[in-house]
Amino acid sequence: MSNITMRLAGALFGAVALSAMPAMAEDLVLGASVQLTGPVANTGRYYKDAYEFTIDKINEAGGVKVGDKQYKLALKLYDNQSDVNLSVRQYTQLISQDKVNLLLGPFASNFALADSAVSEKYQVPMVQGGGASDQIFSRKFKYIFGTLAPASNYFGSTIAMMKELDPAPKSVALLYADDAFDVSVADGTRPLLKDAGITVALDERYTSNASDFNSLLSQIKSANVDAVLVAGHETEILNFVRQAKSLAVAPKLYSFTVGVPSEDFRKALGKDADYAFGMSAWLPSADLKDKYFGDAAAFAEAYKAKFGYEPDYHAASGAADVEALVQAVEAAGTLDPKAVRDAIAKLNFDSLYGKIAFAENGQIDLAQTVIQVQDGKVAAVYGAKGFLEKPKYPMPAWNAR
Amino acid sequence: MDLLAQILINGVLLGGLYAVMALGLALVWGVLNIVNLAHGAFIMLGGYLSWHLYTYLGIDPFLGLPITAVVMFCLGYALQRGVLNLVVRAPMFNTLLITFGLEVVLTYLAQLAFSADFRTINPSYAGSSIALGPVVVPVARLMAFGVAVALTVGMWLFLLHSRLGRAIRATAQNLVAARLYGVEPRHLYAMTFGIGIGLAGAAGGLYGTVSQIDPYIGATLTAKSFAIAIIGGLDNPLGVLVGGLVLGIIESLTVLYVGATFGDVASFGVLVLVLIFRPSGLLGKTA
Repeated sequence: MSNITMRLAGALFGAVALSAMPAMAEDLVLGASVQLTGPVANTGRYYKDAYEFTIDKINEAGGVKVGDKQYKLALKLYDNQSDVNLSVRQYTQLISQDKVNLLLGPFASNFALADSAVSEKYQVPMVQGGGASDQIFSRKFKYIFGTLAPASNYFGSTIAMMKELDPAPKSVALLYADDAFDVSVADGTRPLLKDAGITVALDERYTSNASDFNSLLSQIKSANVDAVLVAGHETEILNFVRQAKSLAVAPKLYSFTVGVPSEDFRKALGKDADYAFGMSAWLPSADLKDKYFGDAAAFAEAYKAKFGYEPDYHAASGAADVEALVQAVEAAGTLDPKAVRDAIAKLNFDSLYGKIAFAENGQIDLAQTVIQVQDGKVAAVYGAKGFLEKPKYPMPAWNAR
Repeated sequence: MDLLAQILINGVLLGGLYAVMALGLALVWGVLNIVNLAHGAFIMLGGYLSWHLYTYLGIDPFLGLPITAVVMFCLGYALQRGVLNLVVRAPMFNTLLITFGLEVVLTYLAQLAFSADFRTINPSYAGSSIALGPVVVPVARLMAFGVAVALTVGMWLFLLHSRLGRAIRATAQNLVAARLYGVEPRHLYAMTFGIGIGLAGAAGGLYGTVSQIDPYIGATLTAKSFAIAIIGGLDNPLGVLVGGLVLGIIESLTVLYVGATFGDVASFGVLVLVLIFRPSGLLGKTA
């Protein structure tokens, strides 16, 4: 037999063997590209873990019922190495080659901003829980949905709280990194500060991944502001706090968009993390009921038991994304991406993350609870109904702690 | 005025840290003609080593520096003997490729071994400061600066006066003549690379004490070290110190007067200017 006929015979045999396999429950494949390595791997892992955890849980409960067919959820996950360009290629590959049914999101606004162009182009809905920048939702895209609260309002509850503090901070320094999310935060924060009658004494944008904040901190000290609001990334906030200590810069209050809810961040800073304010749209409360996990407290406990670290709002948001897709598919009764998209737009259900219902632009609206590190633990201090717990304010000087 | 004084102090202290990061890169580059793209990854490994010594054995990060440096020296020596000597006389492109490959391997091994968690070396004095009137001097940075100056001057004396140092310089200047005088290049190259990596390790310990360590800090540190080495010149460790200080001060002043997003523009702008006007560095010999 010639070489070619051998191969033909082999291929034929393979095809026969495949078609003779017993029929199994079909897979409903969700595709995602997440930062498993690279500079933002630290937060990226929340999404990988949350996606897998939720998918396993839903499969244990019998999977997804679409029309009268039962599907098993599967995840096709790529590591985008914290590289935006790579993540765009991977989403294109997920749709055009891997033929996944629906998309889950990456972490971070700049990624979601770029990747949502892919979902829009191929008209496959993406529910993402990692990008909060208002820019993502201002382009009238129809296939992108987001479960993080809008970036522009991250400091909303903090500023509301500041007005009720005694003595109320009169001047602030606003620092933000130069990326989609943090610029949106700053743009949204300025009018809120103005309405609250708080002076912005210093308004500075800095380079993402900056590690040296000594000059900015010296300016903050020199301007003698009452409060410092920083929108940035965890590594930057870590450096900021450490350097604030070493330069003895202690405003009455400082608050950060990231870091405070994350266990790893608090561990890295140890006692120096105390007094830092932050915000979270999610707290693991038993009041948040969930179809698959029971409630948010049970979710947090099971998550910690499985992965060895506490979930924060990133993880809860990722879990909610999987649930949103599943609920939408079940409501649509078909896997057709356009029908599922319309079903997502109509969703309204309670989850471990809160109520999932998307506004016209595709973004969810959740209130941010102000949180603070108190004795190494996160305390919820201010919510929609006012103070929940007494904030530790004002922050004492570093040598008086 | 107080603010300016504070910013200048910040810049000088930052510059000292920069200098110690770039010292090893400049040495390896000058002698072996290898631009070690993995340099930042070795700083990162040194940082993890110091962190482990501090966290699990309670060894003060500054006292632990010699241990870190020696362990990293051995790693560097072995890598040079086993891997890099194969390409040391190959075209520059090959050495870039192999050190880039090393960078990738070390970074991902670090994530596997240590996870992407942030680590800080946080002894009690890490955040304390000395007040000089209105100006505040952070203790850990001041100590790091002291170490930087000591290492630079030590390197300078070592290259100038010790037998091994002379052999290293001789090899850098004229390999054939050095061999005729009985220098064994393979051993010498490995010693040089080992010293370079040892210095990177020490820099990592200092970096972890004033900043934070994760597996991905390497690439930016390499870029920074690269700029400092060029600005200062490769002939002389004192040049690296000057390069570090110049860069630290310029960056700090830029943040104050221009804006915080322009720090890198300024430092790499200086790099370009130095390449145009003084291609062998601020302290280098003019051609």
